[in-house]
Amino acid sequence: MKRGLLSLWSGLMGLILITLVQSSGPPISNASSAKPSAVDPALLHTLQARHKLLAKQLTQLMPTQPYILVDTARNHLYIKRQDQVMLDALASTGSGTILDKPGDSKGQWIFDTPRGEFTVQSRLTNPVWVKPDWAFIEEGLEVPKSQADRLEPGVLGEYALGFGKGYFIHGTLYTRLLGKNVTHGCIRLNDDDLKSVYRHAKVGTPIMIF
Amino acid sequence: MTFLCATLSVLLSLTSVSWAGELDVVPALDLTDPAVLQEATRVLEEEIKLAVRPQTYVLIDLAASAILIKGRGVELHRIPIESWSTAHLSQLATTYRLRERPLVNRRKIGPVAGAEQDPISLADMPTTFTLQFSPPLTILVLSNTDGNPWQWTMQRGRAWWRRVTSWRNILWTEDKSPSPPSLDLTVSLDHAQSLAWTVTEGMPFLIRRPTTP
Repeated sequence: MKRGLLSLWSGLMGLILITLVQSSGPPISNASSAKPSAVDPALLHTLQARHKLLAKQLTQLMPTQPYILVDTARNHLYIKRQDQVMLDALASTGSGTILDKPGDSKGQWIFDTPRGEFTVQSRLTNPVWVKPDWAFIEEGLEVPKSQADRLEPGVLGEYALGFGKGYFIHGTLYTRLLGKNVTHGCIRLNDDDLKSVYRHAKVGTPIMIF
Repeated sequence: MTFLCATLSVLLSLTSVSWAGELDVVPALDLTDPAVLQEATRVLEEEIKLAVRPQTYVLIDLAASAILIKGRGVELHRIPIESWSTAHLSQLATTYRLRERPLVNRRKIGPVAGAEQDPISLADMPTTFTLQFSPPLTILVLSNTDGNPWQWTMQRGRAWWRRVTSWRNILWTEDKSPSPPSLDLTVSLDHAQSLAWTVTEGMPFLIRRPTTP
């Protein structure tokens, strides 16, 4: 019993010592972490030039025209041009909820606003909502066979900007829900903000969503 | 035996605190230092490859103690790191792809689900979670637990258990292959949830390492 305890004690103390040695060491990199006493000026110049070139290349990839930025966690949409915020609008984004597809035991819709970088694909005025299957299933209604029965005008506001696989930035009748995650993946705005976004955005304008 | 375990727990907790403190360094970017330049250049080379594609990516800047959500080189969102620790700093020099998002308890909607379900929100996101990457890397995200000793104990316990099992494998099993790199990040509770919300499957992660202690 005593021997077992001693062995356990030794093992654990060894573990602590190993960890302490590991943790107390300074952070290191592939490059030498110790600053050389005499830096070769030619090497330094080469490194600085390379760094400057790459930094310039990265800067050139940044959008120069206005772009749309969407914060889905805090439900805000911004129009930005470089560092300048041109619009800060309260939005509604995806609810993250799930709806099972009837007749498909494994199939389901997940109502997330997609994250990543997209571009404005279309600019619509007075858009008509073509209700997808999930909109009927969610309400417990039968999915219509006729396309005409899917059309619902007046619910998307005066404008809509299409992006990704069937998503839109559009208006809403439910302005009291702005600031909350309540949509099926689209991004909702109030009428004034929607008008402003429509004015600034062209087809091809980047939309960055996180 | 109980006394022994209690003593060890205290010792383990104390070493954990000192570790986090010692490695929480925020060096300024010194472009006259070749090591700093080399690291910054390496990260820029990797970042340009990511920024040319239409995607968002994450730069964990250990030198500046911040997690940056970026797209096209633009900083979209910044999450301050309160402390971090790793035993594998020299290995963290590539682009990692997140294997899967942290698990979220999503609510079902529809007529079958009955009453209207609440949407998910930031508050539903985990405050402590592990991110697994390809090539192998484990990032343990811990949230600041000021004023909540129970959460602190649970988090530290989890971090230590991971380390203990890792060392047990090295010391007492036949598997002598090097353990995959790991990084522990402590952020505020809100920021931990924000990070869990933001990351997506396949998202690229870059790490900029400090070059001075």
